[in-house]
Amino acid sequence: RYVRQLQRLQFLFSPTAADARGARQFVEEAAQDFARQHPDVVLYVSPCSGTAPLVRAEYLNGTVREELIASKTSEEIVQLVTKLANQSGLDIIRIRKPFHTDNPSVQGQWHPLTNKPSILTVQGPRLQPQ
Amino acid sequence: MVVLSAARWVRSRLTDRFWRVQEVLKYARHFRGRKNRCYKLAVRSVRRAFVRSTKARREKKRFLRALWITRIEAASLEHGLKYPAFISNLVKSQVELNRKVLADLAIYEPKTFKSLAALAQRRRQEGFLAALGDGKEPEGIFSRIVRHHY
Repeated sequence: RYVRQLQRLQFLFSPTAADARGARQFVEEAAQDFARQHPDVVLYVSPCSGTAPLVRAEYLNGTVREELIASKTSEEIVQLVTKLANQSGLDIIRIRKPFHTDNPSVQGQWHPLTNKPSILTVQGPRLQPQ
Repeated sequence: MVVLSAARWVRSRLTDRFWRVQEVLKYARHFRGRKNRCYKLAVRSVRRAFVRSTKARREKKRFLRALWITRIEAASLEHGLKYPAFISNLVKSQVELNRKVLADLAIYEPKTFKSLAALAQRRRQEGFLAALGDGKEPEGIFSRIVRHHY
């Protein structure tokens, strides 16, 4: 069963700044539809004057991702928010290998004594000189 | 009031020079010397580093293949086979394993690799018999070719 990794979205913008116009339009018009389409995500809207408008996304593994929404239209904010909702909280860096195992070796990893005769490794009872 | 052009006495100042400089310097932080601090030197170094990393993607494939071949050679020599004999006999026995997988098997699955080396050795002997024996003996078992019709 699919569990959405996005926990909550916090919208921080001021009600009077000019670059928060898209954010205000989004909250008035599209936020309700978004909330209905994504029932697992909690939306918080709080005013904060003096700072740039941003949306903070918190994920189930604890990562917090902040994106600026200054001077963005409502549609762009909708796209951004759907992108955040479909992401998981893993950090966005280059993946070194597309595979990972906790148990890479079934037969025992090679060590310099694997293909040598076992006389070198086995310690039998010490032979006393007669 | 509709303003179609900005008033002439207003001149805009560049206010985010710091962040534009940091965008470049963040890729130069692990460099040596002044090029990890000074923007003018860092711009050149960062650009060269990016160009080199783009070009190196083609070399990485060659480098990794050479690494795998070295490892397979070492592992097959432990079992008494040389690398060209091992690879050619595996191909003739229709074992289509690439060098990456063979190197991983040699490291993590030594018994499987031993059995592959034994298979290659057996196919090699059958190849010698077929070439030198000439005729009367039956064909080797591992020299049979299975044709799959997909």
